[in-house]
Amino acid sequence: MLRVAAGERTALQTTYRLTSAKLFGVCLRILHDRGEAEDVLQEVYLTVWQKAAEFDPARSSPMTWLITIARNRSIDRLRSKGLSRRMEPIDAANEIPDAAPLADESLADGQANARLKACLGGLATHEQTALRGAFFDGNTYEDLAERMSVPLGTMKSWIRRALQKLKACLEPTER
Amino acid sequence: MSETPNHIEPPDDDTLAAEFVLGVLSAAERETVARRIARDRGFAARVKSWQLRLVPWSDDIAPVQPSLDVWTRISAALPPERAVHAARARFWDSLVFWRSLTVAACALAAVCLVVLVATIRQPAQPVLLAAIDGGGHHHFIATIDPARDTVAVVPAAYVADPTRVPELWLIPPGGKPHSLGLLNADRTVTLTIPAELRRVARNRAVLAVSLEPPGGSATGSPTGPVIAQGRLTNL
Repeated sequence: MLRVAAGERTALQTTYRLTSAKLFGVCLRILHDRGEAEDVLQEVYLTVWQKAAEFDPARSSPMTWLITIARNRSIDRLRSKGLSRRMEPIDAANEIPDAAPLADESLADGQANARLKACLGGLATHEQTALRGAFFDGNTYEDLAERMSVPLGTMKSWIRRALQKLKACLEPTER
Repeated sequence: MSETPNHIEPPDDDTLAAEFVLGVLSAAERETVARRIARDRGFAARVKSWQLRLVPWSDDIAPVQPSLDVWTRISAALPPERAVHAARARFWDSLVFWRSLTVAACALAAVCLVVLVATIRQPAQPVLLAAIDGGGHHHFIATIDPARDTVAVVPAAYVADPTRVPELWLIPPGGKPHSLGLLNADRTVTLTIPAELRRVARNRAVLAVSLEPPGGSATGSPTGPVIAQGRLTNL
């Protein structure tokens, strides 16, 4: 349906039109600053432009690929500039999970999300909280240890164990 | 898994890949891992697997519209049109890529349309939507109109099988599949939801498409492969 007759620039623009709001949401969530997030968003699409050949449709969906670039760029930016990041203490017991945006589910792979959620639900609360802080706030082990008031080694154990459990839970049904 | 807080082993490759994707590593560690991904295919594959596992969590992040001038800035930073043709990337030629994005666009359009219809028709019952996704070649968009008890199914991407027909199934959470009828590879099909199934055609129920002999499954359950499925969601 959408053959890109007019050249790659149009293709990039179409990609931007379809995906920029989602990717901007991802950048903004990690960076908490519109200006920084917009700078990163610009970098993301220039990276997409340059690295287009690396996208392998057999191994990744376009959305997963794009979100991965946006996440990596945002986290790198967060680290490099020592930007203020979410550091308020988190108490696992009082965590309020993010509500999933409704219409958005149809955009990405809702199945994979549902499967992941089911597996996350099987983790201990403190493990979920730690993973959430890392994934959504771009926190390091050190940040998370501070936020949850536990020794660094404990935080590493929690997260590594949680990742192992997640993998074991996801594996049997993975495509 | 017997580490004590003060004695942590260095992570194995798979753990390191997971930590990179999750985003817990420091700047220096991230740089080391990024270099490793570039030269070590086996390790890169581990990272890719973890991306597939964890990145779907991003579905929970709501889209936010960036300022209009971001595209202007991107466009200005691109090299002149002529210079790039030599390095023509197969990404842009990938039918799967465009098909998936088109599906995303169709889903968005469907959402907009349905929201519009739902807004106009008062009092509106919640309309339900499902992207029935089976990967690049099998993708349908279904909308349930609770006022009429119908489900409309658009084949967004479907490669027809000459010997078998696509059949639509409704699967309530924890329940068995119930047939809703046969689909068409080329056009939108609107099916009436049987009275006994209206109760279960709700949010979180799953719609699935299987391939069946002409005329549909004779047993009342899917007999052929399930090629796509998707969960109903409220708008």
